Amino acid sequence: MFEFVTPLFLSLIIGGTFVGIIFGAIPGMTATMAVAVCLPLTYSLGLENGLALLLGLYVGGISGGLVPAILLGIPGTPSSITTTFDGYPMAQRGEGELALRIGTISSLVGGLISLLVLDLFAPTLADFAIKFSYVEKFLIIFFALTVMAALSSDMLLGIFSGVLGIFVALIGTYDISDGGNGNLRLVPPGTEYWLESGFSLLPVLIGLFGLAAILEQAEIGVPKGHSSKDIKVGKHSRFSFGVFRGEGINLVRSSLIGTFVGILPGVGGSAASIISYTNAKTFSKTPERYGKGEPGGIIASESGNNGLTGGALVPLLSLGIPGDSTTALLIGAFTLQGVQVGPLFIGNNPGTWDAMIVAMLIANIAMFVMMYYAIRYFALVVTIPKHILFPVILMMCVIGAYTINYGIMFDVWTLLIFGVLGWLFGKLRLEVAPFIIGFILGPSAEIYFVKSLESFGDVTIFFTKSWIAVLLWVLIIGSVAGAALMSKKRRQMTEEAA
Amino acid sequence: MGDLTRVTIDFDTSHLIFPTIIACILGLLGLAIVIRDRARIAAAGSYWRRSWDVMDKPRFLGVLALTLLYFSLMVPVGDLWPNTGMGFLICSIPYVLATGLLFMHERPLRQVVPLLIVALVGPTFVWWLFTYPLFLTLP
Repeated sequence: MFEFVTPLFLSLIIGGTFVGIIFGAIPGMTATMAVAVCLPLTYSLGLENGLALLLGLYVGGISGGLVPAILLGIPGTPSSITTTFDGYPMAQRGEGELALRIGTISSLVGGLISLLVLDLFAPTLADFAIKFSYVEKFLIIFFALTVMAALSSDMLLGIFSGVLGIFVALIGTYDISDGGNGNLRLVPPGTEYWLESGFSLLPVLIGLFGLAAILEQAEIGVPKGHSSKDIKVGKHSRFSFGVFRGEGINLVRSSLIGTFVGILPGVGGSAASIISYTNAKTFSKTPERYGKGEPGGIIASESGNNGLTGGALVPLLSLGIPGDSTTALLIGAFTLQGVQVGPLFIGNNPGTWDAMIVAMLIANIAMFVMMYYAIRYFALVVTIPKHILFPVILMMCVIGAYTINYGIMFDVWTLLIFGVLGWLFGKLRLEVAPFIIGFILGPSAEIYFVKSLESFGDVTIFFTKSWIAVLLWVLIIGSVAGAALMSKKRRQMTEEAA
Repeated sequence: MGDLTRVTIDFDTSHLIFPTIIACILGLLGLAIVIRDRARIAAAGSYWRRSWDVMDKPRFLGVLALTLLYFSLMVPVGDLWPNTGMGFLICSIPYVLATGLLFMHERPLRQVVPLLIVALVGPTFVWWLFTYPLFLTLP
């Protein structure tokens, strides 16, 4: 049954988790960057083995962020931002190792709970989604874009970024294989040769998440690394499971919040950890201790952000909609292997589905073993000099962009264009995650929209097709209203923490 | 009323329908942003000047220039030894070294030597990995 579990499969998960923790632990590098850089390596691995590597990187990358968050007060990844609130004060009073172990165990629980939800929920949602017609499929994408954009830090700029992503995705041919007429659009004269198929997904992703991050670091002068003297692991803080006494509800609630946030497209780990942390503080009997080294804060933050991992895979595998920027990259891995994710994916690829569940389970266990028992050594990762890491990553970005379509130099230039664009996005306060999800979903949205109109010849069909369509409109309106409320709460929380 | 909502799609121009709608939405959103953030947009000049002033120009512009040079040279160099990946290998070694030196804050020999080793070993390993085990031709 589990014939995919080979020594290579296991090695790739463990190796991926190891590399992911290193990426997550180095400030300025993220799980998304780890997946982007290592994506071309999956080219010759086959789907199951390739996913094993990427899922290991994903779980490791999200978890590794707690190391600098606790030891240096700098979140290694955006999803560890709230871990700094209580982790760093604990490290300063000599309880670094204790804080790291609390974070590691919470990460494991968050990851396992979200995996359980993924295993139970994704096939059910996919079975339901199979019945959708073009109208419902378009509305699902519209809903996803609304949720993702509405939950951005600035709703208007988030929506603009998402729509811009759709617009850029439409550059090129309206593909005959998708029922289009094969004509070009949005292609400037003289660029038809390069832009006939539009911009390739993977060079765009690698540019936005790899090159742009390095440009941002270069702009601020590539901050000096940390020496081993900066790291206070705290040898005398003994860990005992008694720390978790009274925190069971916090642990489960935060994991479920993280999973739910993960299911919402494009929201990301920072929102998962912030919402989990806010709830933990709200329901705590001693909220005044939060922000001063309270273990409950680390538990909430880390179980919340690791809960995201399984949650973000739910819409990806059941609807073909990525839950966050890292799962958007996983779409690239599927594309590379010629597999389309969507409602039919689980039914048509039961072996790959099982492999993903097993890979996630092993990655979470591997992450726990590595970080629990070797945390002192991972702590040293933050001392790796960036002047060595960044040039190598830049080279890997080039390799990734070039090899993805069997060697097209235009893809390397695409990497540069979108790297600079990603850096500009930061300057203009545009959001990369909505842009990228718009870019991924744009072509499907077009097909479903045009086909719906061709089939029914009436725009009211989007409101009257079925009760699902009506429900989706209720959800779309509800998501925008809910997002406004959550945004207000998030702002309050950030202000309080500051 | 029913006629108002009816739409007929002409197959020959069907490729323009969605891009036109998206362009209109984008224009409207852009207009909304301009109206809402007019004060910020009016102050954009000083914002960019400040960004330019605080930017580490040698590192930022240096990495951009090196990357442009790297991308531009890879194919012409590779064409001297077609289908061997030499363009990648020969250009990557100085690129990694130069970028690393650019990112360094101090350049004592004990920091430059490890970078030199990485600049030689890294691209060579990647070139070998993609050329032999993975059978992917680099520029």
